[in-house]
Amino acid sequence: MTIKRLLAVVACAGLLAPQAWAVEKIEFWTFSMKPKFTPYFNAVVARYEAQNPDVKIEWIDFPWDVIQTKLVTRIVAGTPPALVSLNVPWADEYARDGLLTPVDALLGEARASYIPSALADLRFKGRTYGFPMYSNVAVIAFNTAIFKQAGLTRGPASLDEQLAFARQIAQRTGKAGIAPALSKIDGLFMQQGLAVITDNRAVFNSPQHVALVQKLADTYKVGGLLKESLFAEDNFPAVIDAYKGGRLGMLLAPPTAMQRIRGDAKDIYAITDVAPAPLGPTGIADGGWLVHFAIPKGVPVRLLPSVGKFARFLTNDDNQLAFARQASVFPTTVRAAADPFFLATPQNAGAAEKAVAAGAMSMNHSRTLYVAGIDDYDELRRSLVKAVEAGVTGKQDVKQALDQAVAIWNRKLATLPRH
Amino acid sequence: MKLAHRHTLQAWLFLAPALLLLAAFSFWPVGYGSVLAFTDYSLIRETRFVGLDNFRYIFNNEMFVSGLKNSLMFLLMVPFVQVGAITLAVLVNNRLPGIRLFRAAFYVPVVTTVSVVGIMWGFMFHEQGALNYVMMTLRLVNAPVGWLSNDSLALFAVMFVTLWRGLGWYMVMYLAALQSIPSDMQEAAMLDGASRWQRFWKITVPMLRPTIMLCSILSVLAALKAYQEVDVLTQGGPMNSTFTALYYAYDQGLKHLKLPRALAASFIVSLFCIGIALLCLRYLKPKHR
Repeated sequence: MTIKRLLAVVACAGLLAPQAWAVEKIEFWTFSMKPKFTPYFNAVVARYEAQNPDVKIEWIDFPWDVIQTKLVTRIVAGTPPALVSLNVPWADEYARDGLLTPVDALLGEARASYIPSALADLRFKGRTYGFPMYSNVAVIAFNTAIFKQAGLTRGPASLDEQLAFARQIAQRTGKAGIAPALSKIDGLFMQQGLAVITDNRAVFNSPQHVALVQKLADTYKVGGLLKESLFAEDNFPAVIDAYKGGRLGMLLAPPTAMQRIRGDAKDIYAITDVAPAPLGPTGIADGGWLVHFAIPKGVPVRLLPSVGKFARFLTNDDNQLAFARQASVFPTTVRAAADPFFLATPQNAGAAEKAVAAGAMSMNHSRTLYVAGIDDYDELRRSLVKAVEAGVTGKQDVKQALDQAVAIWNRKLATLPRH
Repeated sequence: MKLAHRHTLQAWLFLAPALLLLAAFSFWPVGYGSVLAFTDYSLIRETRFVGLDNFRYIFNNEMFVSGLKNSLMFLLMVPFVQVGAITLAVLVNNRLPGIRLFRAAFYVPVVTTVSVVGIMWGFMFHEQGALNYVMMTLRLVNAPVGWLSNDSLALFAVMFVTLWRGLGWYMVMYLAALQSIPSDMQEAAMLDGASRWQRFWKITVPMLRPTIMLCSILSVLAALKAYQEVDVLTQGGPMNSTFTALYYAYDQGLKHLKLPRALAASFIVSLFCIGIALLCLRYLKPKHR
C-alpha cells in the first residue's frame, strides 16, 4: 500500500514536472536602485508574477559604475539578462557594437504611449533600442535673498539672461551667480543650436561658438560663475553645496535637488523659488537624461515576446507614474506625464513641488544631448573641455583655444570609421 | 651533497604555496597583461596581434604623454618623503613624554583610506576651506587660492597629499631600523667623544642605508603609480594638469574598457618603475656589509 502511494506521488510529480520546467525566467537589471526603490521593484515583480504565473522574474541591481562591465561580460559569456537599464549614450555605444537587440517589433501598440522625444532618443540607425522608463530635466532654483540684493525679481528666460543675471549677482553681492556644467559643453552647444560636428568634421570654432564661450569667459571674469569644480566631470556635489551654503544665486538642477536642499539646508530652502530652465533656440530643455530598458544581444529569440511583454509592463503608465512620483523624476509615457501630480502646483507649494511642476512643463522638450556614434568620444570631449577651460579662465584666447581643439578633433575624426 | 639537495627541496616545498599564489595572482596577470598590450583585445571581438599599435597610439596621445610627465614630476617628492621620514623617525625615536601618541599620529594617514583622505583634503584645499581661511587670516594671501582649481598648483597639491600619506609609513620603517642599530656602537662613539651630529652621519646614516635603499625604491614605485589621490581629488583636472600615466591607464581600462591601451600604458609605467628601481639599487646599495 505504501509503495503504491509512493508510486502515485512520483507519477503525479512526473506529470507536474513539465509544467514546472515551462516557467520562463526573466532576469532584469537596474542600476543604483537599491535600497531606496527595493519596495517599488519588489511590488512590481510580485504584481507581474501574480498576473503571469508562468513567468518568474529576477531583479538584480548593480551600482551604476559596474553595470557596464557586468553586462558586457555576461553578453560575451552568452548569458545576458533579458532586460537591462541603460542611459542613452551607453545604449548608443552598445547598439553600435551590436550588443543590443532592436525592440521595434516588441513595442507594438505601446509605441504610441511613449513621449515621441523619448523614443527619438533611443533611435539609432533607424531602429529603436529600448523601452523608455523615466527622464529628467533641469529647472532653475534661485535664492530670492540673493536675487533681491542683486535687484532681480524673476528667473532668467534665456541663456543670455542667465549669464547676465550671474554677472549682476556677482557685481552686486560678490557671490557667484550660476555654475553650469562646463564639462558637458558639447551638450550646451547643441542645446543652443550650435553643431559640434558636421560632415565628420569638428565645427565648434565658428564665430557663434566663440561668442558663446566668450560670454562664459566674461561672466567668469567678474566672478559670475562658481569656480569650484566648474570643469569637473561631475560638478553637481560642489554646486549643490555652494547653493546650500548660500554662496550661489542660481542652481540649474533636476527637481530632486530641491529635496536635498529641503533636507540639508532648511533656511535656504525657505528662500528658494523655482523657474523652468530656459529652452535653447532649438526648443530643447537642459538636463534631459533618459533611462530605459534595453534587450541585450543573445537573449533567446523564443523568450523575446515574454521579455517585450514584461518591458512594456515595467514601463507602462501606472508603473512609470508610481516610480516617477517616488523618485521625483518624470515619466516618459504621454498619459503619466500629464498626471495632475506633475502639472498642478498646490496652494502652499514649496520649491520641491514647484520644481516638479516647472520640470513637467519642460518634459516634452527633454532630449539627451550628446554626440553619438564616435569611438573614444570622451577623449575628444576632454580636449574640447580643456580648450573651453583655457578660454573661459582667460589662460588663452577663446578662438585660438577652440581652433586647437578643432584641429585635434579633426585629426582623430579623419581616422575613425563613419557610423 | 645529498643533504644540501634535500634542504633545497624542502625549501622549495615550503615556498611552493606562496609561489603558487604569486604565480596565479601576480605573475600570470602581469605576463598575460603584457602580451595583451600588443593585441586589440576586446571582450566583444576576436583578439588580433597588432604589434606596437597601442604604444604608438598612447605616445601620440596628449593625455598619456602629459600624464607620463606628471608621473615623473611625482618623483620630485621622493627625496622630501625620505628626508622627512628619517627626520620624523629620529625625532620619535627619543624617549620623550607622549612620544607614542606622536608616533601614532604620524601613522594615522597610512591606515586611513584614500577616499577619506581625499574628502578631508578636498575640504582643506577648497577655496572656502580651512587652508585658505588660515592663510587669509594670517594675511599671507589676499584672495582665496585655488589649490585644486588652478592648473599650476593642482599637481603640487595632489603630490603633497601623496607625500603626507606616505610619510608615516616610511617613518615606521626607519624607526624600526633605528631601533635595530646596536646601542653599544653609539655608546662607544660617545666615549670616543663623537658629537651627536657626528654619530648621526658616521653611525646612524650608514646603518640606515639598506632601509634608505628599500624605502627609496618603494617611494619611487609609489610615485610612478600615483592615481588614487588624483581620482578622489581632481579626476585629472583642471585642464588635465593632474592626469598621471596610471590614471590614464585606469581611465582607459576601467572607465572606457579600452584594455589594450590601458595595458600598454601600464607596461610603460612598469618599464619606468623597473628602470628607476635598478638605478636606485645601483647607486643606493650599501658598499660594505
